Amino acid sequence: MARVKNCFVIPGTFDEAGFTKSLKELALRFEAAQPAGNFDILDCHDQSLRASAKVLIQTDGSLFLLRGGRAETQRCKVKGKFVQDLPDGSVKAGLAGFPKLRALMSVGAGRAKHRSFAILGDLQKTQVRGTMMLMSSDQGQVTVVTVQHMRGYDRAYKTVCEKLTKLEGGKSKAKPLFDWLFPDATIYKAKPEIRVCKQEPSIEVATDIIRTYLAVARQNEAGVIHDIDTEFLHDYRVSLRRVRSVISLFKGVLSPEQTAALKREFSGLMEPTGRARDLDVYLLEKDSYFNLIPPNLHEGAVAMFVQFERERSQALGRLSRRFRTQSYDNQMKKLTKLFADPTNLQPGPNADRPAYEYARALIWKRYRKACKLARGITPNTPDESVHNLRIDCKKLRYLMEFFAPLFDAKAFKTIIKSLKKLQDNLGLFNDFSVQQEALLNFVKQHTNKQGRADAQLTLSVGGLISVLDQRQLAERDRVIASFKHFDSPDIRHLFRSLFHQKEG
Amino acid sequence: MKIIACYSNKGGVGKTATSVNLARAYAAAGHKVLLCDLDPQGASGFYLRVKPSKKLTDARFFEDVARFTKSIRASDFEGLDVLPANMTFRDFDVFLSRMRNTRSRLKKALISAGSDYEVIILDCPPNFSTLSENIFKAADQIVVPVIPTTLSERSFDQLVGFFDANKLSKKKLTAFFSMVQQRKTLHLETMDAMRKLYRKRFLHSSIPFAADIERMGQNRAPVSEFAPRSAASLAYQKLYNEMENGVVSKR
Repeated sequence: MARVKNCFVIPGTFDEAGFTKSLKELALRFEAAQPAGNFDILDCHDQSLRASAKVLIQTDGSLFLLRGGRAETQRCKVKGKFVQDLPDGSVKAGLAGFPKLRALMSVGAGRAKHRSFAILGDLQKTQVRGTMMLMSSDQGQVTVVTVQHMRGYDRAYKTVCEKLTKLEGGKSKAKPLFDWLFPDATIYKAKPEIRVCKQEPSIEVATDIIRTYLAVARQNEAGVIHDIDTEFLHDYRVSLRRVRSVISLFKGVLSPEQTAALKREFSGLMEPTGRARDLDVYLLEKDSYFNLIPPNLHEGAVAMFVQFERERSQALGRLSRRFRTQSYDNQMKKLTKLFADPTNLQPGPNADRPAYEYARALIWKRYRKACKLARGITPNTPDESVHNLRIDCKKLRYLMEFFAPLFDAKAFKTIIKSLKKLQDNLGLFNDFSVQQEALLNFVKQHTNKQGRADAQLTLSVGGLISVLDQRQLAERDRVIASFKHFDSPDIRHLFRSLFHQKEG
Repeated sequence: MKIIACYSNKGGVGKTATSVNLARAYAAAGHKVLLCDLDPQGASGFYLRVKPSKKLTDARFFEDVARFTKSIRASDFEGLDVLPANMTFRDFDVFLSRMRNTRSRLKKALISAGSDYEVIILDCPPNFSTLSENIFKAADQIVVPVIPTTLSERSFDQLVGFFDANKLSKKKLTAFFSMVQQRKTLHLETMDAMRKLYRKRFLHSSIPFAADIERMGQNRAPVSEFAPRSAASLAYQKLYNEMENGVVSKR
């Protein structure tokens, strides 16, 4: 038997008397209880640990990771923001695969009381050792029992584990620890499921999607304000972009006047977030930039990143001040209210078209447009066409995702996979081009009236631009290759059968 | 890995008490310790509440890696495991050499069972036998408790004589005075004389004659558990310090 600790999550307080009775010839002896302390359940905003059935608990000085019925413990005094910043140990090792960009934050807190215990056999010999942690929140209580196998005492260990499993309530009653302690917690989802029906009027679909993503965007505001990690702003922007794409892609669903007004309003909301996000991306990619150029060109790049960091904190400061203003809050509340009910909106000519039929028409048209553009791209066409293809593919992808529930999941997956590959190449192509432009602008800003700039800086930037340009060229070739795959007879057939063939 | 044998050719000198208390001291200092109870009476197992193993009567025991590792029991103390008594000594030298050999199946079995012992303490039976000869060869250090009385002195002379006759390295012999009663002139005189005669063999630390050590049988635990501040407990700690770190404390 492996000498691993085993861990049990028992609802409520621990029934000491009942447990002792069930052990029969074994005896339970508690050590003196330690004074109660605080606990925090740590996870990132989208609770990826919870989703993978793990629980990370921080108490004064220790981290506990529960997963698959096992507990890892690690002493840890510091409050690590990112998993990669935690000191090495079994908990950190168990957190491998945790998203690198997401910070750990407290998603629930309460009081914890620890007690150690021993299970004694005859001769009062310890045969199993364990610890018990009673966790209490405002909404519930749960006891986490960890037992330790002692060499040569397999039978006692097995008995104790069996009894504890019974106390867990068996498979039917067992719930994750988080659900016992925080039954009412709302769980953030960056991409919530939105139900769509085939006959649903398109204006209702549009309202559902917009309402949902407005709420998602709002759930990210606090994280941006407190600068917890860069993904809050990213998710905020993605949500608003989805809203915008519904407004612009669902043609004729809203009146032309309202469409134009909403387009303006949402680009007004997005605009102040752009610079901060760009800088986030540069800073996250910092190491890879340095890897692109030889060490003797690093000096200028160091200066550039110092500048980026300064600018980023200014941009984020502006943004978080904006998020805290009353006028911003009012604007968001007004929008939320507007999209609470489709009857609040001014319908356009397509408002009542059934979702399925409308979706097929929209997607088919967008698909044909993208293909026409892509087929015309040769090594000689200007970059502009590649950029346009990227935007068309993005629109196609959004449309397909919005209406995904209406179509055959398997066929959709095949198409999306191939589209995603193409989009990845297009995205990189675009990034390389945008980055070159940004670097040139940066040098321009740091050039004096006589047209002189710092030599170290220009050397670094020059080096970076030439590498980025090479990469962009290479990526262009990959775009053409990926499109060939996307444009294969199989995928073409799938598109036609899903979105164009007459229903039999 | 270090093998320490606790041995005396005379009975009742405090071998088992020394084995148990030393093993506890090593474990408390953070070492992974295996205490092997080679004395068929099983006294060190008794002190640690580990029952003798019924399965260990087979002469081929040391050949059978799985059975050996299975019969090891965790004590109540972190880092201290016990191999209970009732074993025969055939192939004992083979067993010890395997324990040292990183590539042996025994070593692998121990590691895979979650322990790779740093210190092995052997609680030996009081006689000259094939087993004791094997122990003399295999151990890195042979700790010999000596009561400062005429009979014990004679036994120690015999032991040294045995080492001479068999061309064994006397450097391994680490003796200390056990069950010392400071108010007995005979004890003081014997200690003086023996320290002069075997200048390099005796440790400075000695263990007093103490009721607390006898109470180990009632408490079934090392002295440091139930009388941590007693003279006996401190004496064992000093003995450990001197053996492990060469530290000799005054007083």
